[in-house]
Amino acid sequence: MPDELETTIAEVVSSSAGGPIKILVVDDEVDLEALVLQKFRRRIRRNELAFDFAHNGKEAMARLDEDDDIAMVISDINMPVMDGLALLKQLNETKPNIRSVIVSAYGDMNNIRTAMNRGAFDFVTKPIDFTDLEITIDKTLKHLALVREALSNRDQLVALSHELDVARDMQASVLPRSFPATDRYKTHGLMIPAKEVGGDFYDFFTLGEDKLGVAIGDVSGKGIPAALFMMACRTLLRSRALEGGAPDQCLGYVNDVLSEDNENCMFVTLFYGVLDTASGVFNYCNGGHNPPRVVHGDGEVAALPTTRDVALGVLPGHGFNHDSLQLQAEDTLFLYTDGVTEAEGPGSEEFGEERLDDLLGRIDQADCAEVTSRVLDHVREFAGENPQSDDITCVALRYHGH
Amino acid sequence: MANGSVLDLSTETDGDTTVVIPTGRIDGSTASPFQEALLKLIEDGKGSLVVDFENIEYISSAGLRVLLMAAKQLQAGGRKIVLCAMRDHIAEVFKISGFSEILAIHPTRQDAINAG
Repeated sequence: MPDELETTIAEVVSSSAGGPIKILVVDDEVDLEALVLQKFRRRIRRNELAFDFAHNGKEAMARLDEDDDIAMVISDINMPVMDGLALLKQLNETKPNIRSVIVSAYGDMNNIRTAMNRGAFDFVTKPIDFTDLEITIDKTLKHLALVREALSNRDQLVALSHELDVARDMQASVLPRSFPATDRYKTHGLMIPAKEVGGDFYDFFTLGEDKLGVAIGDVSGKGIPAALFMMACRTLLRSRALEGGAPDQCLGYVNDVLSEDNENCMFVTLFYGVLDTASGVFNYCNGGHNPPRVVHGDGEVAALPTTRDVALGVLPGHGFNHDSLQLQAEDTLFLYTDGVTEAEGPGSEEFGEERLDDLLGRIDQADCAEVTSRVLDHVREFAGENPQSDDITCVALRYHGH
Repeated sequence: MANGSVLDLSTETDGDTTVVIPTGRIDGSTASPFQEALLKLIEDGKGSLVVDFENIEYISSAGLRVLLMAAKQLQAGGRKIVLCAMRDHIAEVFKISGFSEILAIHPTRQDAINAG
């Protein structure tokens, strides 16, 4: 065992919640009991070790079923009813946390090999040298302490990843499951969560006969707090949007509610726009979000002028502005979050707006699903081996005219 | 990778004004120590807090949130936060998010100290 793994027996004892480490000795020779208790009497007295005894494999299994605290088994091979090798097999299958040491005749390599193959941790030979046995016990217990530590770390990891799963599920549950489309427009959106989930979302609202709402947002921070804030934002926006509120009114309402008691100063950048599908007028409000792009039929790309508003959640009572844009047939609106432009490639270089605009200029009437996936593919290719540190969200809306 | 991010802080004082000069990236992994450091400086100081962005390469939304918290904390005590010396791409983040409208930003540290 490598030096850095050295753990004193005291540490092992302390890791077992204060009580002694329980060892089950399995041998049909009853003389062994007295011998073990005598040889280890000091450590038994110091409450470091406790011994239990069984006389064959079957009895041993029964004792193990009764007592979950037994950490280690020391077993003879040749015994009536159930021998040591059969016991090892059962232990290996049903009690993987128990470490076993086998006692075999000196030079009995066949049985020793079988025992090791069946998961024995170590072996000692007969006649038992108690100094050797003590070293073997300590070695086994040190190993067990390390395994327990690793398991507790793993449990913490599982708990943590469970939290991430919850945030991820929350985020996935609010995304649209279908993309509105008529002969006047087509839509598509995708959101790829980062490993540590952020708070990106997007939404579409069909508002009466002629109107379509489209929203994209990015909440500050990550994990469950961000996911909760995102869900609140999305629900508030949805309720006001479906009532037919204009974008600036909707954002004003969402902002006022989110700003209440917002001790942690969380905020969301939120863009919301409504397309009048009859006229092609796109009326929008931008609460601190990356300006969406309009891609004209000829490949010209322009950023939508901002409405000089602030992200939502920080400035209660802020009066939001609006702006509008006349879309022509076959214009495409592209909305995104900073997970796209801030994706890091080689040498910490960011994907950036220039690459995005260049790519959008070459979409050449690819359908909306193709546009979003092409952007994602390019970002991924650019990032290469670099881990995705933020959610990536892309939304495309193509206006076909009236 | 965000986990590898480094943010160093140095501080200076000019009269009652505390000047903090962070160096590196303010992102998801450094925002929390940054927040602790700022709140401590606010608690210990009595005048304005100037944050000099000269050596900041990147700030994420988590970093913006920390500045908002610091601003709120200072305002509660009738004090100010003043930011300065941002590189263009950092200034752009404040502009897009609209935070340049609610946080005072100056071109140089001296301007910021004078404004504080």
